[in-house]
Amino acid sequence: MYIGNEINRIDAPDKVLGRPVYAEDLSIKGALFGCVFRSTRPHAWIRKIDTSAALASPGIVKTLSCYDIPGENIFGIIKKDQPYLAKDRVRYIGEPVLVVLGETEEAARKASRLIRVEYDDIGVISDPFISGDSKTLIHEKGNLLSHRKVIKGDIEKAFREADVIVEHTYTTTWLDHAFMETESGVGYPDNKGSIVIISSTQNIHYKQKEISKLLAIPEEKIKVIQATTGGGFGGKLDVTVEGFIALSVYHTKRPVVMRFTREESFLSNTKRHPLYIEYKTGARKDGAITAVKVNITGDTGPFASYGETVCLRAAIHATGPYEIPNVRVDSRMFYTNNPVSGAMRGFGVPQLAFAHESQMDEIASMLRLDSFDVRIKNALRKGSSTATSQVLRNSVGIIETLKKVEPYWRRRTRKNDHTGFGLGCMYYGIGNTGVSNPANACLNITGDGKIALHTGACEIGQGSDTVLVQILQEALGLKIEDIVLIRGDTETSKDAGSSSASRQTYISGGAVFDAAKKMRQYLDEKGFYKGRTIREIYASEADKKLLEHNGFFDPPTTPVDPETSKGSPYATYAFATHMTEVEVERETGSCRVKKVYAAHDVGRAINLKNVRGQICGGIAMGVGFALMEEFVPGKSESFDNYYMPTSMDMPDVEVFIVEDCEPTGPFGAKGLGEPALIPQAASIVNAIKDATGVRAFDLPCHIERLKKLIEDKK
Amino acid sequence: MKNVSFVLNGKRVSCEVQDRELLLHTLRERFSIKSVKEGCGIGECGTCTVLIDNEPHYSCLTLASKVNGHDVKTVEYLGDADHLHPLQKAFIESGAVQCGYCTPGMLLSAYSLLMKNGNPGENEIKEAISGNLCRCTGYIQIVEAIRDAAGLCKCKS
Ligand code: FES
Ligand code: FES
Repeated sequence: MYIGNEINRIDAPDKVLGRPVYAEDLSIKGALFGCVFRSTRPHAWIRKIDTSAALASPGIVKTLSCYDIPGENIFGIIKKDQPYLAKDRVRYIGEPVLVVLGETEEAARKASRLIRVEYDDIGVISDPFISGDSKTLIHEKGNLLSHRKVIKGDIEKAFREADVIVEHTYTTTWLDHAFMETESGVGYPDNKGSIVIISSTQNIHYKQKEISKLLAIPEEKIKVIQATTGGGFGGKLDVTVEGFIALSVYHTKRPVVMRFTREESFLSNTKRHPLYIEYKTGARKDGAITAVKVNITGDTGPFASYGETVCLRAAIHATGPYEIPNVRVDSRMFYTNNPVSGAMRGFGVPQLAFAHESQMDEIASMLRLDSFDVRIKNALRKGSSTATSQVLRNSVGIIETLKKVEPYWRRRTRKNDHTGFGLGCMYYGIGNTGVSNPANACLNITGDGKIALHTGACEIGQGSDTVLVQILQEALGLKIEDIVLIRGDTETSKDAGSSSASRQTYISGGAVFDAAKKMRQYLDEKGFYKGRTIREIYASEADKKLLEHNGFFDPPTTPVDPETSKGSPYATYAFATHMTEVEVERETGSCRVKKVYAAHDVGRAINLKNVRGQICGGIAMGVGFALMEEFVPGKSESFDNYYMPTSMDMPDVEVFIVEDCEPTGPFGAKGLGEPALIPQAASIVNAIKDATGVRAFDLPCHIERLKKLIEDKK
Repeated sequence: MKNVSFVLNGKRVSCEVQDRELLLHTLRERFSIKSVKEGCGIGECGTCTVLIDNEPHYSCLTLASKVNGHDVKTVEYLGDADHLHPLQKAFIESGAVQCGYCTPGMLLSAYSLLMKNGNPGENEIKEAISGNLCRCTGYIQIVEAIRDAAGLCKCKS
């Protein structure tokens, strides 16, 4: 009744009135403005920093360097290798060196421009292929951050026996999250002696831990609150402004505001990892894929951020949603002096989907088979074993998603020789890879007769607030008026993990469901479902502790084997098929995406409007990834030279929802945020091939590139 | 400093502004209208859109002194919690809002369109919001919302 319906988002009424308070909208009296002075060198020793002119500038308050950090000058989600403020040495253009605090934004920025640094340049590693063997070390332990393998069956034998083999190299480049709200936050000392940070973020509890280490102050004394957040997509997972703000509050005891300009956001925000993917596929005449060998080389920049995650996730998902008996994947992630790459919607899987779906079409065309049939033939089904030898027992909807688009595929007709159609399929493990990644949720009955839901899950625009409330409503049979949502504050909620890896519906939703089961039993015992009101129950309960019920969910996974990646890294997977029609103007190389049919197995759609919204937004990002988005270090600094889709670039979209129920998910739900994007670029590239006969191996396939490909073929 | 007086959301207002002060900052700081967002500050994203004499303008490129004697509207003009404008209702109903950062600007561009054209086609709608970037929604539900609202609203000027 409360889920699976056309329910509106609970935050939408406020948002259409322009009322939500984003971090930059908080006016705090007497707040200082902080900005970051950054390195202009990709790799250099810092010889001397001269702040004298800056400190003489009007309105300047202070500059802070690494020597002002009372705790540890290092952070990182997995491997802690990134300094907040450079010490002795800078490793990329844009690396923070100093925090500059002024009475106003203008004063701070002006002073910052007066800082002079003398550098001694060091050899620059700008390419992951030279990084591994270089004598120049970006970190003491070497330039290889991570090497992960997936090994299954006998790959050499399978290639020897294959009827056809297709082998190509695919490359992708840096992309920016380009959330419309840049990184921002405020901080202040509260009257209990704590430091409070309110910021635009995807994970409050992680940031609380990092700040605690940075300042050497216990976690209880650091409070992190999520402001309304204007998009995340992975780019607000790492510590952005929070550490600098906390450090500034620590030293000045005054409120501090920080906000990156768009240019600064482009310069400093983590990027999608550029991957170089060598891909070899072997198949039998009947279209059965027997072998896949992949070499992935990635560039994480000078710091790990989510590089290890991307390295492993790309490897595990390299074969796509297909059952391949013989697999060998080598995925390596190198340090370079390029921009820091990190988490961005899909953690390397969109890049791999581009490769495996291109291969799929190539195999089909060599064998003169319909690429749709080849996909169905190889698709994972119940009982299949994945590349990591995980046997899928439940909720394997890839074939259903293919069947949803099948009628359109079979009926497709090219209107003229400028149009073409392409398919893209994907699967995606929900939640973090092979590690425990639990969420908590807490429910309690309030004196005014409501059920309060406390969660640490960050609403970043994806709609988690609404989904969690719907799950609670459905589980308890409660109207929206009976519920209050309290979230995004480390003081009032327990850790729910990050809003990343498409995990909040499934994992935080699972935690809410768990708490709701307990609450339901309690309410039932107290006669709620026989007509007693919540208010009466509250009043009659002598032991108020009994009014609180905690929920917890940690998806059942196993760590993967470090050598072969054998294991069950995810408890459940999402599946999708996109079919795309494009129109290409051969003379100019301009490609228009006309229509997308998008079918997604989400387990159970909790909120139909959100599902459609995620899919349409994912398609937009996929259009950008395929055709226009390219971050060029040193050049891309604004939307004038980083092109992303506008309303004019969008196709018509038809959405199909497949609900192959996931038994461990709340009401059967899985996740969708990243899957929405993953197959889109692949389906465009395949459609371009159908339209023009040329295949793009390098993304983005922007207008000049496509024009050249078409000309070269003539 | 200069004195400017203009009509802001239907009310006559006046204030002192710096010579090179941008309307974006005047509205956010002097009038506390925080729905006007600064997504880029250089005229490339549309989150700072306001209507000047009912035409959409980037307030980050507009000098405050330039609105002297003109009519300025922000999203606050459209409606309030008890009286949502049909466009605002349609944005809610169509799922056209995700993170909400682009939403005020989108609504204003749409409103300006509907004032001029009560029955716009899909391409006219797309064109009208082409200066407003949205990273979340893929625009599709926004276009649907504007189309749905078109039939319902008489946009007051
Ligand atoms: S802030 Fe004015 S257009 Fe971006
Ligand atoms: S809703 Fe997030 S930018 Fe449009």
